[in-house]
Amino acid sequence: MLTKKGKYGLKALIHLARLPVGQLAFVGDIATGNNIPKKFLDAILGELRNAGFVQSRKGKEGGYRLARPADEIKIGHVVRVLDGPLAPIPCASRTRYQRCEDCNEATCQVRHLMLEVRQAIAEVLDQRSLAEMRDIAGDDDLSAALKIQA
Amino acid sequence: MTGRANSIVPNSIVIVGGGASGVVLAAHLLKSPNPDLRVTLIEKRPHFGQGIAYSTLLSAHVLNVSAAGMSAYADDHGNFWRWLLERGLATPAQAPVYAPRSVYARYLKELLDELEARETGRLRLIREESLSISPTGSGVEVALANGTSVVAHIAVLATGHDEEPGAGHGHAIRMGSDADTVLDPEARVLVLGTGLSMVDAFLSLEQRGHRGEIIAVSRRGLLPSPHRKGNPIKLDVADIPLGTQLSYFVGWFRDLIRENQKAGIDWRDIVDGLRPFNQKIWQNWPSSAKRRFVEHTKAWWDIHRHRMAPEVYGRVTEAVQSGRIRLVAGRVVGINAGDEFTVEVQSRHTQNIETFDVARIYDCTGIARDISTTSNSVVRSLVDRGLARPDPLRLGLDVSQLRGDRQRRHRLGQDPGGRAADPRHLLRDRRHTGHPHTVRAAEPAAAGLRYEVGALRRPLCPAGHLPLKGGDRQFQRPVSLQRWRLAKADVRSDLPP
Repeated sequence: MLTKKGKYGLKALIHLARLPVGQLAFVGDIATGNNIPKKFLDAILGELRNAGFVQSRKGKEGGYRLARPADEIKIGHVVRVLDGPLAPIPCASRTRYQRCEDCNEATCQVRHLMLEVRQAIAEVLDQRSLAEMRDIAGDDDLSAALKIQA
Repeated sequence: MTGRANSIVPNSIVIVGGGASGVVLAAHLLKSPNPDLRVTLIEKRPHFGQGIAYSTLLSAHVLNVSAAGMSAYADDHGNFWRWLLERGLATPAQAPVYAPRSVYARYLKELLDELEARETGRLRLIREESLSISPTGSGVEVALANGTSVVAHIAVLATGHDEEPGAGHGHAIRMGSDADTVLDPEARVLVLGTGLSMVDAFLSLEQRGHRGEIIAVSRRGLLPSPHRKGNPIKLDVADIPLGTQLSYFVGWFRDLIRENQKAGIDWRDIVDGLRPFNQKIWQNWPSSAKRRFVEHTKAWWDIHRHRMAPEVYGRVTEAVQSGRIRLVAGRVVGINAGDEFTVEVQSRHTQNIETFDVARIYDCTGIARDISTTSNSVVRSLVDRGLARPDPLRLGLDVSQLRGDRQRRHRLGQDPGGRAADPRHLLRDRRHTGHPHTVRAAEPAAAGLRYEVGALRRPLCPAGHLPLKGGDRQFQRPVSLQRWRLAKADVRSDLPP
């Protein structure tokens, strides 16, 4: 499941991917530009830095930038760093397995199917790069749906 | 040739090198039902399937992987084990069995004999040395030492590892080569390397009745670990952090081992559980992580990943404890040749220089070697004419990323990163380092023909290295000719004259 942390991290990376190569962005700008709480964003960017996706510079002129070209950074790689193993439900993971209180995982068909689903998630997310995600055009269907709602 | 010649189906393949990898690849290719498939296997040695790795007759030279992991077929893991059982060479109670490599050579020979009898039209074996590979209009031409040549759509390099000592190892010789003449049994010898090749050299010396001291020198002086019976843990690719910096990955992996050890699981089961993903992990690392891995982590990874049979480990550790083998962590800084060699070794820890007078120096440094200095004439022919080049880490030939989605495939000369921009003929990835290693693709790119030999997950590297760590073969998949296309003429401006 993509948590808020994962979603915010991806948005911040897209923000950085839009910058000219080498230019740094202030955390404050990224936070206000994407509606992300600044403190949370600090923590997220720190983790992304440890994993080698972004670089930071301290000081007045400081900020963050991508450590690698946006087409080399895969979405699945980022999500694993922020949210842990890709898994639709917490029990469908092998290294971060969390037992469900209410079922027997050995016979749980839901879990078995979800183990397959996570392969599909990895398949999709590991193929798409940050650059591709950045360049995805706006969703026309969504604006139509919003109109209907209104 | 102009335009796209989509009508040419690349169905003739020449495999240069008929060692274990070449034979196994041929076996997989011939699984295809295509009646027009033509596989030509070229080997300079008298016997196919042996290469350097399996030509040893010494019974102490056993496989470094148990029989259960040595099947020649990706989809039939128990093939070799059953073969052993059927011939009474092992009993089920003995598992895990570490069979002598000569027995494995026999297994491959029988496998090839069977193929030869069955595939009279599709398989052709040639016992001859290959000299060079040249691109032609529709594929490649392999020139042989007898003056003839073989024409095919695709050439696969399965030439194994260098038979000559590496540059800079001036006075060192390979164990078992012509230069390895009779030696005074009491003489002290020096071995460059402390890995599985060194262990093989030690076993050979023992066999010859050699009793002198063996000084084994490597940067860290680490000895590989022994195997132990276990069950690799199960992982999915969704569990593994890909594409991160090396330190992040190593941290994750250490944590994983720690957690599992708390549950009483041996570290070997985690190392082996990661194995199916090694190639993927390697490919997804940024180049900085790859470089760091080779520089700092590889030696540690190697001794945990490439292990030896428990009995062999017992013999080696006994020799180390008794002083017969002396492991030295350091660097050779000078060699003076006289009647004997005086070798100066600078200690890794104290920086002090220690001198050893030895009668012989054996090169057991393994297979990582700058391909541009290779002594192999076929590879030379490609490198010298600019048809191939070393990969950025100088571990093998630069091969392009031919997997998965088309957008990421590098076009000739157009790769923005300057990475595999000019890749040609296949294959060879770095299995010896334990990480990802594959036989990925062969690519007579100069001819403009692009194709992919499919996701054969790791096979073609084992031959040529005595400590054949061939276990990964179980992850091989059948090779299929998935894609090919002719590149446009304008990207072929770099054709050789």
